[in-house]
Amino acid sequence: MTAAIRILFVDDEERILRSLALQFRRQYEVLTESDPRRALERLKREPVHIIVSDQRMPQMSGAELLAQAREVAPDTLRILLTGYSDLDAAMEALNSGGIFRYLTKPWDQQEMAFTLRQAAEIAARQVQIAVADMPTTLGNQRAALNVLLLDNDGQTLSVVAEFCVSGGHRLLRVASLNEAVAVLNNQPVDMLISDLQLAGEDTAPLLKSLAQAHPRLLSLVVTPFCDTQALLKLINEAQIFRYLPKPIRRGLFDKGLLAAAEQAQIWRAQPAQIVTRLAQVPREAREQEKVGSWLGMLGRLRERLIA
Amino acid sequence: MTTASALARLLKPVVPLAPGMSIADVADRLLTPEHKAFLSLPIVDDAGVPLGLVSRSALQDIFMQRFGRDLRGRHPVQEVMNPAPLMVSLDTSLEDAAKQITGQLQYPITEDFILVDSQGLYRGLGTVLDLLKAMEARIEQRNLVLRKALVDLKESQTQLVQSEKMASLGQMVAGVAHELNTPLGYVKNNVPLLRELSAPLFELAEAQAVLADCLGDPDCAEARLATALDNAASARESAAPELLAEDLTQLFGDTLYGLEQIAELVVGLKDFARLDRVMSEEVDLNDCVRSALVIARNAIKDKAETHLRLGELPRIPCAPSQINQVLLNLLNNAAQAIEGFGQILVKTWADDSAVFISVQDSGRGMPADVLARIFDPFFTTKPVGQGTGLGLSISYKIIQEHGGQIRVASQPGRGTRFLIRLPRPQAAPLQRSA
Repeated sequence: MTAAIRILFVDDEERILRSLALQFRRQYEVLTESDPRRALERLKREPVHIIVSDQRMPQMSGAELLAQAREVAPDTLRILLTGYSDLDAAMEALNSGGIFRYLTKPWDQQEMAFTLRQAAEIAARQVQIAVADMPTTLGNQRAALNVLLLDNDGQTLSVVAEFCVSGGHRLLRVASLNEAVAVLNNQPVDMLISDLQLAGEDTAPLLKSLAQAHPRLLSLVVTPFCDTQALLKLINEAQIFRYLPKPIRRGLFDKGLLAAAEQAQIWRAQPAQIVTRLAQVPREAREQEKVGSWLGMLGRLRERLIA
Repeated sequence: MTTASALARLLKPVVPLAPGMSIADVADRLLTPEHKAFLSLPIVDDAGVPLGLVSRSALQDIFMQRFGRDLRGRHPVQEVMNPAPLMVSLDTSLEDAAKQITGQLQYPITEDFILVDSQGLYRGLGTVLDLLKAMEARIEQRNLVLRKALVDLKESQTQLVQSEKMASLGQMVAGVAHELNTPLGYVKNNVPLLRELSAPLFELAEAQAVLADCLGDPDCAEARLATALDNAASARESAAPELLAEDLTQLFGDTLYGLEQIAELVVGLKDFARLDRVMSEEVDLNDCVRSALVIARNAIKDKAETHLRLGELPRIPCAPSQINQVLLNLLNNAAQAIEGFGQILVKTWADDSAVFISVQDSGRGMPADVLARIFDPFFTTKPVGQGTGLGLSISYKIIQEHGGQIRVASQPGRGTRFLIRLPRPQAAPLQRSA
């Protein structure tokens, strides 16, 4: 067993902090802060593996805190715990805060424990990587990436095509989910840009199964569809990298693509067995089934990854 | 189309007179029953072009003179006709025709008007009375349409007011539901924790009971007693009741506090939504302020710090749910006006004549042109779909219906202050002193 995993809980309600501390103090080293500004100070001073923050606090929002936490301590896993189903906050927490999970209040004790256990496993792995001193920034070497596009929208295509040309990446286009699976089984794919609908099919189950089969694949979802619950599941179960509303806002989209490319390059430079992501398996039986069947079709991909 | 045929419906195809017809013959013609209804008869040339009108009164003037008929009876009618009669084209609308006729007619009315076609040729006569009747019918019809429009308008206004109410109710319910999440979150977490933490206490009690039995039994073997002592000691060590006591006390305290919070919210919601209980008993407006704040807390908490300066208030009769609606609206607006984190100050006080509530924020304030319109229905500065623009206009109406006033002062960049004045009932103290 390595050094204890340190978890920092941030909430403006002390009773929440006390309750969580009492629940987890036996498994982890629990830290608590009721003021997000003090939480940031703490992140600068001492190592924290996981930060769990409330969304609505007087001094700053949880999404803001997590975005700043990413700057201060990029390796700390970020989890948002909120009673509010606020799409903008969820989008900000994902796009700027790069959150690992989005949990809702009142939370389920088992689920919270499970999520923290998953996060702790990843954190423990990261600790080992840090010991091995892996490069987390890139030198000059830039590999050409494979970018798969699952969206028929002309505007999306033109932005992604331009990004691929200027970055020297390969753009792969498909018209259906089956074609997508064929492409994914034939070659490594680094980035996936997808609407939630492709030729009348729901792409979410495929995204979720990819998160399990290929945790390093970076998915950017572009959609006209705005639903906090759907986004929440995409964060927790598909580990999407960005959620971008349609009609496309150019600056936001470009930034997302560049950030994804940067991340993909870093991962390419690292050995394959080091995976710092872990998606949650969907809870609904029907959805689990769908994800499972995509996983079966992606079998060859998995085999190749393991080999 | 309908207006053109409206004039055609007034048309009476009176046979016109030739210009050379004698005055005496015209007089005879005027006496026939089919011409009884007309004040005048048209004179038209061979080509059908109207030349003038000869009126009953013109002939009467002649005949009233001594020997009038004898002297002028043979003269052609052309001599006594009005050569510039009222001529209205058939394709004129009823309204325009009425305007033209009332503009040119003179008192007393002695003539009818000539209806001509688009070429200016004679088609018939129209009478002023028929025109009046047609106008009256038209106005009646218009009134019906207007009345229906008014009813529709009132209905849609009621619907809008209702939907504003539903919107603010929905906002309120969502706010309270979210507000419940926090205490519910830790209470829900604490209860299983309490069970888990207190489990070792039962084991300790059990081990100590066994030990007590041993001690009370004179036949108890040494070995059994030793085991019981050991068990009790280790149960005690693992339960660590001294340490546990602190945790349990804290957990119980927090849990109770959370339940009280939940209860307070539910009671607040109930108080708040004493739905449409019309003019209620005597109400302390400070209670309204407090219950509106409980409901608005969620909208405010990450936007502003709230300061309360509630003075002693006499109870006044009012509809508390409506006053609550106004206060919630003002508090939500105040929170929304604040960029970053600011202050909201709620003050209440009273003088001999009235009770006052002031809601002041340190928000962005409003320029004069916005300020002038904020109580107008449908005026909103929020993006489409985010505000009905009815909140303040309804608040205004509610306060007005209570016989009070709502006023606003604002300074861009400094903040906004709303002041509500509700009158105290005046008659009561006088009667009592008498």
